[in-house]
Amino acid sequence: MHWIALQPASDAALADATTAWSWWALQFTPMVARVESALVMEVSASERLFGGSVALLARIFESNRPLALVEYAQGATSLIAFARLQCADAQAPTEHPIPADDLPLHTLAAARAHLPTLQRLGIANWGQLRALPRGGLVRRFGAGLVDALDCAYGQRAEVYPWLTLPEVFDAPLELAASVENASALLFGARRLLAQLQVWLRARQRGVLALELLWELDARRSNALHVDAHHNGGAQGRLELRTAEPTQDMAHLARLLSEQLARVTLPAPVLHLRMRSLQTQPLAGESLSLLPEDVRAGDSLHQLLERLSARLGRDQVRSVLLHADHRPECMQSWCAAVDAIKSGAAQAYSKRARGQFVLQEMPREALYPTWLLAMPLRLNVHQGLPQHHGPLTLLAGPQRLEAGWLEGDAALRDYYVARSKTAGLLWVYRERLGGQAAGVPASGAQAIWYLHGIFA
Amino acid sequence: MSATHRLLSTVGVHPDVWQADALAGAPQRVLATGDALLDAQLPGGGWPLGVLNEILQPAGVHSEWRLLLPALARSGSRAVVLVGAPHPPFGPALGAQGVLSARLLWVAPSGSAQRLWATEQALRCADVDAVLAWLVQVRPDQLRRLQMAAAEFDKLLFVMRPEQAQAESSPAALRLWVAPSDQPGDALQVRALKRRGPPMGSSLHLAARSARLSMLLAAQKYALDRTAACV
Repeated sequence: MHWIALQPASDAALADATTAWSWWALQFTPMVARVESALVMEVSASERLFGGSVALLARIFESNRPLALVEYAQGATSLIAFARLQCADAQAPTEHPIPADDLPLHTLAAARAHLPTLQRLGIANWGQLRALPRGGLVRRFGAGLVDALDCAYGQRAEVYPWLTLPEVFDAPLELAASVENASALLFGARRLLAQLQVWLRARQRGVLALELLWELDARRSNALHVDAHHNGGAQGRLELRTAEPTQDMAHLARLLSEQLARVTLPAPVLHLRMRSLQTQPLAGESLSLLPEDVRAGDSLHQLLERLSARLGRDQVRSVLLHADHRPECMQSWCAAVDAIKSGAAQAYSKRARGQFVLQEMPREALYPTWLLAMPLRLNVHQGLPQHHGPLTLLAGPQRLEAGWLEGDAALRDYYVARSKTAGLLWVYRERLGGQAAGVPASGAQAIWYLHGIFA
Repeated sequence: MSATHRLLSTVGVHPDVWQADALAGAPQRVLATGDALLDAQLPGGGWPLGVLNEILQPAGVHSEWRLLLPALARSGSRAVVLVGAPHPPFGPALGAQGVLSARLLWVAPSGSAQRLWATEQALRCADVDAVLAWLVQVRPDQLRRLQMAAAEFDKLLFVMRPEQAQAESSPAALRLWVAPSDQPGDALQVRALKRRGPPMGSSLHLAARSARLSMLLAAQKYALDRTAACV
């Protein structure tokens, strides 16, 4: 048997270093348990898989980038490893391990209650204790001490409540000081995110949605506050969603900071809590060597999420084309994050690249490149529309009759017109419903609109 | 004479060094503008990638699509980000001219600082081919930031500014002034205010509209003339 005992140093970057370490250790062996404040793990069964005990140790302790420094000790049983960990303050753990018989008695948890008595008996280490007659020891100190001694020397199986990796990430964090400004919650949230990253890596999943909860100080009367993040109770809540599963905590932290900038806290906060709402198995990264596959920068969905988080989701738009004759109904600009989620803009995603849905206009279509949001009513002078000076009609009319089914019929004659200052414009004359088709409206009645600009 | 020429030969020197009377070579990647006349006036023969390109226009005039669409159509298949466009872009028309509407991303930030931020973020995205930004009030140091981002991520970046900005200094590698021409026949007047090469003597006159539109207008004129002749 080969046991390793770990004592994580308390760390500012992680919310709960011991739990994070236990998740990390679970990828090497299923036998991980908590003993007092330390972790013990049994690795003899996994040594061959990872290429020997030296390679395994290197993997555990040297490739743990998200995790903090840790003290560790090894031994044939968990109690020996744990006892050596307690003694290994100054000396290097692997150089000269203390023999089991020389371990001081206080390192054995079962002996601690009887420590004064044992000291008066002149017993200072495990070897001396073990040399005492068994029957007398049981009568004097109870069976627990002898059982622990048997476990420590490997004569009895060691059974612990083994730790498991939770299905859902849910971690609390007590803040060191009460926080009044929502942006300052980010410091605590970062520690929780670091913890989340360890969990995601261990489960090989990416997070799609998570929530950050905070508990308001109930002693303040204005805790009864209702807005987008508070429902009048003692808790506030912020939900964070991403379009693609991610383990990239820098991206999540940026999104979170944008979102937190909009939160107003009605009362100070002392407790934070983070929960994963939705996760997905994450495919490994493609390690392509082709230069066109390796591009610097974020992915598009990260860009969209970041822009939408700061500017508002309706300010970042992608276009949807519709089959309609009215120009203003041919396209609709909608929030790009929704379009990506609904899959309507699959063209963005890497997989669908180059397989655009062929819904584009034929190349012959002559439409202006700018379309005014609202048609601009033009002044009419001597029967001719004016826009920074008189317009010359160059081509037209192009007749449009549509929309009668929806109730607001569009009866228009479109012209291409030239303006001295603004170049080529797309204007239309509204035909009144009563007019017979083909009869031109007299100048006084006709209403002209500017609808587009050829640029 | 020939000895002087040999002495001053820039062959083998750093690509950013060029003869004062000639256009710079093509040290950077360029994208053809789709207009032979304009290509001949640009160093490297097209829009340079990875630098800041500035287009100055009179107020109320927006002829940028005419200049940029042919290049954008050939720039790739990833997103084209429009930051602070003055009007809603008409997707079907842009699609018909080669920029697929699925590539378009219209970002409409409210303030000047937000526009700059959004532009820079777009430049930093790997899935973006080109960024078009309409910036009204911007300081040279802010433009410099955009120039650095464009250079780092090798993106096609165009910044549209009002023509009043001519007098201000700018870190742009290429500054063009574009306006509708006074000449008859709808020409587009283009002058390089700054380029890697000698100053531009006279401004360039490009056809102001796409070939299709010109054909339509010509046909219409022909029909009108014939009707007039018959009457």
